[in-house]
Amino acid sequence: MTSTSGAKMALEKELATYKSKLPELKENNEGKFVLIHGEEVVGVYDSYEDAMKIGYDRFKLETFLVKKIEAVEQAQFITRHVNPCSTT
Amino acid sequence: MPHFTLPILPAGPVMDAWVGVSEARRVTLVSLNQPVPNPVQIRALVDTGASSSCVDPSVMTTLALTPRGQVQMSTPSTGTTPHTADQYDVSIFIPCGTNPPLVRRTVGVACVELVASQGFHALIGRDILRSCLLTYNGATGFFTLAY
Repeated sequence: MTSTSGAKMALEKELATYKSKLPELKENNEGKFVLIHGEEVVGVYDSYEDAMKIGYDRFKLETFLVKKIEAVEQAQFITRHVNPCSTT
Repeated sequence: MPHFTLPILPAGPVMDAWVGVSEARRVTLVSLNQPVPNPVQIRALVDTGASSSCVDPSVMTTLALTPRGQVQMSTPSTGTTPHTADQYDVSIFIPCGTNPPLVRRTVGVACVELVASQGFHALIGRDILRSCLLTYNGATGFFTLAY
């Protein structure tokens, strides 16, 4: 598998923050997009594009996470043989 | 609606596309006086069996991208348990002759290894197709994508 990130587990902290904050986030924000930097929940946005723009505006090329808020995460389905790639 | 019509190849409805950094990343790179990687020309398959669009990791490496998220993915390769895939923000540009191109300036795509021998490096999934009209005319051997 090809490595696509110079820093292995680059989003580890952000993903942990998402997991810990999900009970609060899901209350009124199901389907929206959360922007997380480190342990900080920066904001919740209606679109992926908006969250990404704010993320780059504030954190430039630093690590940040944009994730769709789902109480139960829905898997994406691909009906052909492919190998999902992950650095974590 | 702008549209293009192409022949259906043995691999399916395949077309040329360019994948580049997202608009948000491009603006940031310019503001930091850093070079903006040139978009990568690829072959892309229109795949109604893909709920989200996917791009091969070789493209992410060329664009010097780092993941901005993760998604769970189920494929015939993963069995019944979804696997984690990194998600990247990219732009996708599909030319259409003299008509306006199909452009998505900031879109999240999953990183999946696509076998090069299949002849494409990306799947255009239903996240992009939801704003398009796809006509697959097997009888004539052509497909049309309007957007």
